[in-house]
This record gives sequence, structure tokens and C-alpha cells, in this order.
Amino acid sequence: MGKLTIGCFSSLVGSMSLDFAVKLAGAAVDKGHKVDLWVSGNGTMLSVKGQRAFKDYSSLEKNLKELMGKGLTVTACEACAEARGYHKDGTMEGFKRHSMDWYLASAFDADRVFHIGGE
Amino acid sequence: MKLAVFVSDLRNTVDTLDRLKAEKLGIILVQNGVYHAVIKEKGSASPLLKKSADFYALSEDLETRGLSSSNIASGIKVVNYSDVVDLIFNNYEKSVWL
Amino acid sequence: MATTKLGFIVQRPPYKTENPKLALTHAISSQSVEVYLKDGDLVTADVAFVGDGVLNCIKNQKATEHYDISSTESHIKNSLLLDLNVLVCKEDLEKFGLSENDIVMDAEEFGADMKVKVVPFAEINKMMEEVNHLLFF
Repeated sequence: MGKLTIGCFSSLVGSMSLDFAVKLAGAAVDKGHKVDLWVSGNGTMLSVKGQRAFKDYSSLEKNLKELMGKGLTVTACEACAEARGYHKDGTMEGFKRHSMDWYLASAFDADRVFHIGGE
Repeated sequence: MKLAVFVSDLRNTVDTLDRLKAEKLGIILVQNGVYHAVIKEKGSASPLLKKSADFYALSEDLETRGLSSSNIASGIKVVNYSDVVDLIFNNYEKSVWL
Repeated sequence: MATTKLGFIVQRPPYKTENPKLALTHAISSQSVEVYLKDGDLVTADVAFVGDGVLNCIKNQKATEHYDISSTESHIKNSLLLDLNVLVCKEDLEKFGLSENDIVMDAEEFGADMKVKVVPFAEINKMMEEVNHLLFF
């Protein structure tokens, strides 16, 4: 099994590219791969806790927590999050926050890097 | 290089795909990109399908859009997320998202 | 000691969306990634502007004056100061009727040695083959 680093810069709800990234991460985790998911830019929205699961909107918090329980590492760009008013106390439990170099460090030893650069 | 290009839109605002050169090229149609696999405009299939590549379309995104696998253009393999993971790890060294 | 090479490919013009700038800021962060790695291990970043992405390179951007945000131009200069390899597609510049006189080519005022390289797309494709991973923006 290998390591997959996924980076996604697309927003929660406003685009389904983030849904794609989470489902891909889930499929890779289920196959036994180690997966890091990095969100930056508008993707940092994913880190906010208390997302309400309305059917008209993508809802990823529950899936994400299950995947974190299976070993998925999820990290948000701290600067991008703070710029948007997403502070540490509003971040989902288990969701890490780091500077941009964390993503590159994750890519360092990844077998594959899958990057969605935003809309 | 062995390159997988994920096409996520029906209308591409960038012409990068036309310019990429790879020893092995895979085009994986996802999100709105799956329309390329099924929809014809004025009776003609998407010009994207003329590219020399291995073509795949994501079943979950086809079905989300009410598109049937039975109407897929010939030469396109329908895959699911699990298959996409295998393609990324086993068939292609690098991935690009357009 | 190992090196992982990343290729950051910018395809879209600046400002309406943040992604071109995020490409640069992430590439620049290759300078501090060693805090996470073993001694001697490295991540390098090559940046290429292609298609509409070459418009990021037009000089004299007044983003700070009008929107109070850092300009993409300043990030390109930072990239040069940090010795990142920055490539701009020659054919795409020409398509827009632009020349080296219209774009940021150096950061000499900050003491940078590196200059922007205007190259044919074929060279950018070669860079894409040589890096370990690609990040398209």
C-alpha cells in the first residue's frame, strides 16, 4: 500500500470538488492506503465544526469524522482559515491546522499527489 | 511520463489538455466532465474524445447527473472511486485536475 | 538525503480567484518545509505560468493601492529572491501580444539573482516530466 496526498482548494458547499476529494480520500483509505488531505483557500471551510446537514447542500462533516477514525489525516492552511475568520476554537475536533509548508512536507514522501487547485 | 488528466468540466476555459505531451495519457472524466462521455451537441460527440488517450468516466458522477452507462461513447471505461484510486497508484505516475 | 520536486502550473489569471497567488505562496513555502523533514531532505518548487496564467506576470500591479492586498507580482519577485525556478510560456505571451518588457523578469532591487525564464511550452512540458508531482492551479 502507498501514501496519497490530496490537496483541495475548492470551497465547501459552493463546489462539489471538495466532495470529490473527500470521497477519493475515503476510497483510498478503504483500500489500505495512507492518506493526507490538505485544504487551503476556500477549502478551509471544511474545517469548521457544526456544519448542518441539509439535503440541499453538500455535507461532509460526518463522513470526514468517520474517515479520521479510520486514519485519514486532515489539515487546513492556518493562514487561509484565519483570514476567513475560522479560528482554532471553531475547528472540528481532529482537524489539524498548519502553515503551507505542511502540504509540501506531506508531498515529500507521498507516492502520489492529487491536487485540485480550486475553481 | 504516465499522466492522468481529470477533466471536471464540460466547457474548458483552459487549453492545457491540448498541449500536454505524455508517453501514456489517461483522461478521467469526473464531475461535469462526464458529460463529454454521453452528450452530443448538434449530433456530434465531444471533440475531446478524439484525443489519443485511454478514457474513463466516473460512474458515481454519471449517475448523479441521470446519465446512463449504456449511453457512454464507445472506448470509454466506466469506473468508480475505488477504481480511480487504483488508476492513480498503478497506471499513472502523475495526476492533473482540469 | 532525498529531494522531492514539485511543479506548480498556473493556468488562470490573477485576482478574481485567489488560486494563482496560492500557487506562489505554496511554492515559496518550500523554503521552510525542512522543519518537517530529516536533515538534508528537500522539497523543490518549479513554477510555470501557461495559458491565461501568463497574465499574472504583467508588471506594475496596483493591488495594494486599490484593494489593500499583496500583489501577485510581489509574490513572483519573492519567488525569484528565494531562487525558485519561474518559467513563463513564450507562445502564450506572444498570443497576448506581450513581451519580456511587459512582465516581471527579475527582482534585482531586492538582490535576487534568479530571473524569470520565458521559454517554449515544450520546455515547460519537460519540466513537468522531470518533477515528481504536478499541482495545477
